[in-house]
Amino acid sequence: MPYRKILAFTVLFTLAQAASAQDSWGDDEWESDWGTEQDQGIDVYGYVEAAIGGRFESSPYHKRLSIAEPRLQLGFDERWQDIAWTAKADGWYDGFDETWHGQIRELNAQFTVFDNTDIKIGRQVLTWGIGDYLFLNDLFPKDWQSFFVGRDQEYLKAPSDALRITSYFDWFNVDFVWSPEFDPDNYIRGERISYFNPLTQQLTGDDPSIQFVEPTRDEYALRLFRNHEGVEYAVYGYDGFTKSPEAVTDNFQPTFGRLTVVGASVRMPLGPGLVNTEVANYNRHDAEDHWRALVGYEQELWTRFTGGFQAYVEKGDNQTRTVFTTRLTWRDERDDLNLSLFAFVSPNQSDGYLRPTFDYRIDDNWSLSGGFNLFFRERPETFFGQLTENNNAYLRMRYAF
Amino acid sequence: MKHLFLTALSAAVLFVSGQAISAEKSAREIVEQAELNAYYSGDDGRSAARMIITDNQGREQMRQFTILRKDQEDGGVQDMMIFFSRPADVRDTVFRVVKRVNDDDDRWLYLPDLDLVKRISAGDKRTSFVGSHFFYEDVSGRDTALDSYEVLSEDDAKYVLKGTPKDSDKVEFSYYEVVIDKEHMLPVESTFYNDSGEAYRKMEVLEIETVQGYPTVTHSRISDLENGGKTDMQFRFMQYDIGLPDSIFSERSLRNPPAEWLQLRD
Repeated sequence: MPYRKILAFTVLFTLAQAASAQDSWGDDEWESDWGTEQDQGIDVYGYVEAAIGGRFESSPYHKRLSIAEPRLQLGFDERWQDIAWTAKADGWYDGFDETWHGQIRELNAQFTVFDNTDIKIGRQVLTWGIGDYLFLNDLFPKDWQSFFVGRDQEYLKAPSDALRITSYFDWFNVDFVWSPEFDPDNYIRGERISYFNPLTQQLTGDDPSIQFVEPTRDEYALRLFRNHEGVEYAVYGYDGFTKSPEAVTDNFQPTFGRLTVVGASVRMPLGPGLVNTEVANYNRHDAEDHWRALVGYEQELWTRFTGGFQAYVEKGDNQTRTVFTTRLTWRDERDDLNLSLFAFVSPNQSDGYLRPTFDYRIDDNWSLSGGFNLFFRERPETFFGQLTENNNAYLRMRYAF
Repeated sequence: MKHLFLTALSAAVLFVSGQAISAEKSAREIVEQAELNAYYSGDDGRSAARMIITDNQGREQMRQFTILRKDQEDGGVQDMMIFFSRPADVRDTVFRVVKRVNDDDDRWLYLPDLDLVKRISAGDKRTSFVGSHFFYEDVSGRDTALDSYEVLSEDDAKYVLKGTPKDSDKVEFSYYEVVIDKEHMLPVESTFYNDSGEAYRKMEVLEIETVQGYPTVTHSRISDLENGGKTDMQFRFMQYDIGLPDSIFSERSLRNPPAEWLQLRD
């Protein structure tokens, strides 16, 4: 079995090198392919990556391994008849569940109508809102499993099957997204990352008796936005469901409660830095409503060292959760080493999450990344506290082409 | 007598300071003209660029991008978008800048894998531009108001000027010497000196082409004289006064790059 894994990775890697060979540039490096109309051929890009990671301690719920995967991503863009086509797919062998997986990350067509309207249809990655790792009005699916085991930041966003219509006007712009079928987060459900089950009042690993019931209705998201003299204003709306299971069905299986959100944000320069603020009202229909609010500030503290700070609150009639975050980033003079520490701390729930990471760019093809996912707590039922058994470290080596 | 002496003295002072002012002014005029020619040719422009970065052990990297630029006013506010096509890890990344004079630029970076429009806080402009030996400031232009200038020498072909930062705490150089070619009124060589008076960084222009009547640098190089290593930058497919609409410089072009303006044709 290990031999087969190595073989698989070798084959993927050889394919990647072959694909990139056409990209090499020798003496005539200045003359090689500038991507003009004449020399545009079929252009496939992507990467091969090997990731390995483990938990610090044996967990009663899981094996020690948190991530072990060779992965190939292939992407392809083509412009045909004023339509931009994009396809991007991943294939990987997951050493955790010991099976092969495939996922289409993007498969979409983008085109313009009436000069002022862009339409993108198909599978796509969607993001808006201005929080840094805190999402108030961005209710597009996230992949928390990937985030917590140390896959590339790209995988924090899970794709949606959606229609996006963006219209641009003189006074404001409108962004409308319709997903015919609700796209949940790739939420924590025990099999890879354990969590606190409020019904049984205990930490839970893989439990086949728990059936997560996903809604099949559609969902809508709307954004009105404008950039006026460097100040970015936006108003948001969403109608659908909570993106991770936060409700139970009649027979006590976890499910997704109805959700309607209305919110707004402003982002602008302030002094030497940037300030951002965002609010959202969460109307839960069948559960207690709450507000979410965020204020953040980011500034370059000294050359190539940036600090960001956010204060965040979720407030309902009976429950309040506050979170402070900091992001410290340093990059070296040549811009090839990036060190970052992102910290979430909740003073009123006495828990938190630290994400120290490094990214080292060896050359135009090779890069090495690594980091830790460290949760801490006083009580096991809190947001980050339930994840403490999953503390892990990871390393990824990538060849991009 | 005493009165006359004072008048003469003050006249002399006035004369001397008047000389100093006009000398400084002419040095400044030269620099400002060179800045306009280097960064503000035409009302707008499009260019493809390629950088080859060589480190002090001879290892090479490449960056390739297309720049769209539009001037709101000559020597003033400028909109710029940079669309990266190589290498793989920055492919389809877009950088948007609103360059301001005497104020911080507005900067955004679009990360296509996340569909994220990331706003970047104002930063030290004398740091590496995408891992090359060029600084942000070398690409977008250093604000001429930040330095004072004097003419060191002049002959038929060139001026040699010395630039000294008004606030030396904000930059890594103590002063620099810039050679401005009289034919094109473009800076063709800049050498930066540290506090001990040693040259440690050098910019040189290796090729100038005249495009639509505008003298244009098509090949330049920054060398690290202290540690070794250099970056060569070449421009191709330059076009000026192409009539870029203001609407191009917006969040829209980050998510949906304006293909008609990015198509490279000879």
